Amino acid sequence: MTAVNFPDKPKVNYLNCDKGIKSWLLTLDHKRIGLMYLVATLTAFFIGGMLAEVIRTQLLVPQGLIFHATKHMSSFAAYKHYNQVFTLHGIIMVFLVLIPIIVGSLGNLVIPLMLGAKDVAFPRLNLISFYLYVGGAIMAIVSTVAGAVDTGWTFYTPFSIQTETYVCWMVGGIFLIGFSSIFTGLNFIVTIHKMRPPGMTWFRMPLFLWGIYATSIIQVAATPVIGVTFLLLIMERTLHIGFFNAALGGSPVLFQDFFWFYSHPAVYIMILPAMAIVSEIVPTFSRKHIFGYEFIAYSSLAIALIGFLVWGHHMFVNGQSAELDTIFSLLTFIVAVPSSVKVFNWLATMYKGAIKLDTPMLYALSFIILFTVGGLTGVVLGCIAEDVVLHNTYFVVGHFHYVMFGGTIIGFLGGLHYWWPKFTGKMYNETMGRITCVLLFIGVNVTFFPQLIVGAEGMPRRYASYLPQYQPYMIASSVGAYIQLVAFLMMAGYLLHSLFRGKKAPDNPWGAATLEWTTSSPPPHYNFDDTPLAIEDCYDYSNVKYDESIGGYVRTDVPPQAEPAVGPEVAPAHA
Amino acid sequence: MISIDAFSPILGHVFSHPLIGSYGLPHSDSTFGPEVQWLWDLWFWVSVFFTVLITGLAVFFCIKYRFRKGIREVADPSTDHNTALEITWSVIPLIIMMVMFVLGFKDYMNMQTPPSGCYNIGVQAWQWHWQFTYPDGAATNTLYMPVNTPVKFSMTSKDVLHGFWIPQFSVQRDVVPGRTMTVWVKAVHTGHFVLQCSEYCGDGHSEMRANVDVMPIPAFKKKLAQASDIWIHDGKILPLSVVGKKIAALEGCLGCHSVNGATGTGPTWKDLAGSHVKLASGQTVVADYAYLRQAILYPGHKMVAGFNNVMPNYYTTFGGAAHKKHRKLDAIIWYINTLSSHANKASRPPVPDYPGKPAAPRSASPKKIAAAAPKLPAAAAALALVAEGKRFYASMGCIGCHTVNGSPGVGPTWKNLAGSHVKLTNGKTVVADYKYLRFMILYPGKKVVAGFQPIMPSYTDTLAGAKNKKKLDSLIWYINSLSDKASASAEPPLK
Repeated sequence: MTAVNFPDKPKVNYLNCDKGIKSWLLTLDHKRIGLMYLVATLTAFFIGGMLAEVIRTQLLVPQGLIFHATKHMSSFAAYKHYNQVFTLHGIIMVFLVLIPIIVGSLGNLVIPLMLGAKDVAFPRLNLISFYLYVGGAIMAIVSTVAGAVDTGWTFYTPFSIQTETYVCWMVGGIFLIGFSSIFTGLNFIVTIHKMRPPGMTWFRMPLFLWGIYATSIIQVAATPVIGVTFLLLIMERTLHIGFFNAALGGSPVLFQDFFWFYSHPAVYIMILPAMAIVSEIVPTFSRKHIFGYEFIAYSSLAIALIGFLVWGHHMFVNGQSAELDTIFSLLTFIVAVPSSVKVFNWLATMYKGAIKLDTPMLYALSFIILFTVGGLTGVVLGCIAEDVVLHNTYFVVGHFHYVMFGGTIIGFLGGLHYWWPKFTGKMYNETMGRITCVLLFIGVNVTFFPQLIVGAEGMPRRYASYLPQYQPYMIASSVGAYIQLVAFLMMAGYLLHSLFRGKKAPDNPWGAATLEWTTSSPPPHYNFDDTPLAIEDCYDYSNVKYDESIGGYVRTDVPPQAEPAVGPEVAPAHA
Repeated sequence: MISIDAFSPILGHVFSHPLIGSYGLPHSDSTFGPEVQWLWDLWFWVSVFFTVLITGLAVFFCIKYRFRKGIREVADPSTDHNTALEITWSVIPLIIMMVMFVLGFKDYMNMQTPPSGCYNIGVQAWQWHWQFTYPDGAATNTLYMPVNTPVKFSMTSKDVLHGFWIPQFSVQRDVVPGRTMTVWVKAVHTGHFVLQCSEYCGDGHSEMRANVDVMPIPAFKKKLAQASDIWIHDGKILPLSVVGKKIAALEGCLGCHSVNGATGTGPTWKDLAGSHVKLASGQTVVADYAYLRQAILYPGHKMVAGFNNVMPNYYTTFGGAAHKKHRKLDAIIWYINTLSSHANKASRPPVPDYPGKPAAPRSASPKKIAAAAPKLPAAAAALALVAEGKRFYASMGCIGCHTVNGSPGVGPTWKNLAGSHVKLTNGKTVVADYKYLRFMILYPGKKVVAGFQPIMPSYTDTLAGAKNKKKLDSLIWYINSLSDKASASAEPPLK
């Protein structure tokens, strides 16, 4: 076994090639930008998660454990603070975490590597995207400090016009983040179109790229709508032009249409990249070719396109006409089909494989199970007659947390653990990783399953206090949230440990066959010395064998010969 | 369709079998219950099947095909796609989805279509309060419903979105401001339920509940008769302060104003009457009768320091010259006075707490009861006209040029117009009384307000003449309702 990809591994990599704070803040390197995204989104995730713990602690007792009536404060004045907490939790998790966390961090880190490219198509635009995100986040913080918004993350009018909290700042921040999302989407679309290496036709792309491509289309096409909607909201609040306020001749339902026209496709912005990650992990750890590649690729596009046409299912009880209800219900059922196709294809991939239950695979399995529950509970919500008894209840909360947490976040964590060795160059403690994943899986179910039950029994969402008969479920859900907290603390512990004390990672620790594993861990500044050829099937593992001597996998066939080397001086990367 | 109708009772039967059972939804007490229930049960078991199938397969594969060093390091050779199989597992879910869609659609249409001959109950929602009105004029905070009678709810909101949601009736509908939302239900059992607000509406959202009482029809009628007269209890005339407490609860005042000194969304009523109040403008005023009256009728007018302008306008409930003999406002102010240790002659209403003499409550004659009760017909008529005028304001296009919030427009704003002094282009100043408002609407070019162009079209064809008088008057009623300066001379005569 002589063929080792890079016998003389460069000691200089993208992390240490340049030093100083400026080399990070002004970097055009997609990997560094991806890492900065990772730090920023994880910080937001930490804040949003802590707010979730506050919510769950408040709901331990029917009258509220943290915010409740005192001698000096009426219950309503106290509950306003709870409303601010759940609003911030929602806004942070949706706009600052779920939308950018996979695309911004893992997308940036991995896409050019998967393409064998030196960077994304527009490195400067990429950096601007990041700073728009940071700028938006700062505006969100300002609005929180000045007068935390209490509208719910949906900003429904006319309450969002009436409330005296800092709505303009908050939606202004989201407006900026929207631009960040559009630029990133645009960048990735062009990158995937124009920068594929020789040999990589559309249907030889890794499925992660298909997922990101479908996501980017939604980002570019849908995000402008929410931007304009929020501008109108700002105009209504400051100039009193009646778009959405019935008192000024506007329509609150119009706002809901505009809002969901973006925000429903946005849930596919969140879930498609997670599905894309699972489509990478499952074949790698099953040591078997992905089953039904084309169906998975097309299902991503189908979800992206049909996803634009189902927004009205958020509005079944607000008085839109029965005809519209019917059409939206029909389309909602149809969009469920491509998702189920993916699940069956993943299972078929595992069939007759040689399955290794390493941490990323455990996350992928968690994803499959949790997403199944999230999807099935979503179908019943799309059924109009059932939606009437479940709308606005905790059932909806349970459903979308199964999808958003059990789907997006679990998928993200799978991807994080999968590519961690690649972009940090370090291995984490595998045992701790597995224990934590199992604990998190338990925590998610203990948190969100009781919410499904209590919702079916009729408890409405966004409640600072509740009827006593719901208390057992609320306590169970809170216990689940504490289990999750423990799991995340453990994860933070072993990941930080890995950064400083972790074992050195081989180039290809999992035995994957996509291009990012052919470069070193961590990759050099220019990703690849030569533009690789992508003539091998990226899901064919027959020639990827474990090598004891380096603790990782290597290709046993002759690595594809690269094109004549074009050095960085001729084709500079990150420019 | 026939097959579905035949299946539903059979499946309903299956799901009520103890070995299979039905989980989740509460027992339903309305006619929608059975359909919603069996469809839920159907999907519940389909979901259980697929969750167990997918989880089971995943776990089974992980065990059976696990990686074993030296024994199983590579996958068994097998195909990486099978179009027939993949189409199968695309089409089967599609069929299941379509069945669910048709079933849900069918039940939903039933919910959407109220039968003829419904009993009508009005629902008014505002932060954070429900009020129910019945065809005979009664208003309650508890929703009383006759059993086995289809009831249609016509729902309006005074401020933001609210949600009408009674889990046991399997109905839910948002209450959208600016629209009248309807929903119907037929309760099949008597009993007590809780209506919870399901659409987020601000601070008190989670406490925005109402008790629901489904009663046999005779008991329901008796309850309504009691509820329709707040001024009398057991044939005795109540003191105004006691009535005021009832009204304060009914109108939702107590949701924001505490009576024990605690901070709330609005200022507490404890020790308010007769005290010194600091305003947001920096002024300090004494909370006397005139101030309290004004604060209730025009809440945004003088803001108390430290509070937000969120109180809805109660003008249409309490205000207006036609309500002069309307004692509801005085009753509330009497109640506020009983809560204050600073209460004095200036803060109390100019009418005695006990209506009529002697003060001690005793059996009242029907005549006295009639004298003590407010002139509801006149008040209700004015109220209705204001609402109608508001509609004309929008439908006739007045809204295009005249604002109602004081901001400038093509024509003069209607805010604080009625009863005010208006300067014309000919230099004269006139009082905007009823006659003036009538004239200006009918013959807009004849007199022009200083600073505006004579561009308003004439409305004689649509508003002049005896048959249009009511329409014109309703518009002027609406203009009056927008003004702090409205007086009897600005209001149209009520017959």
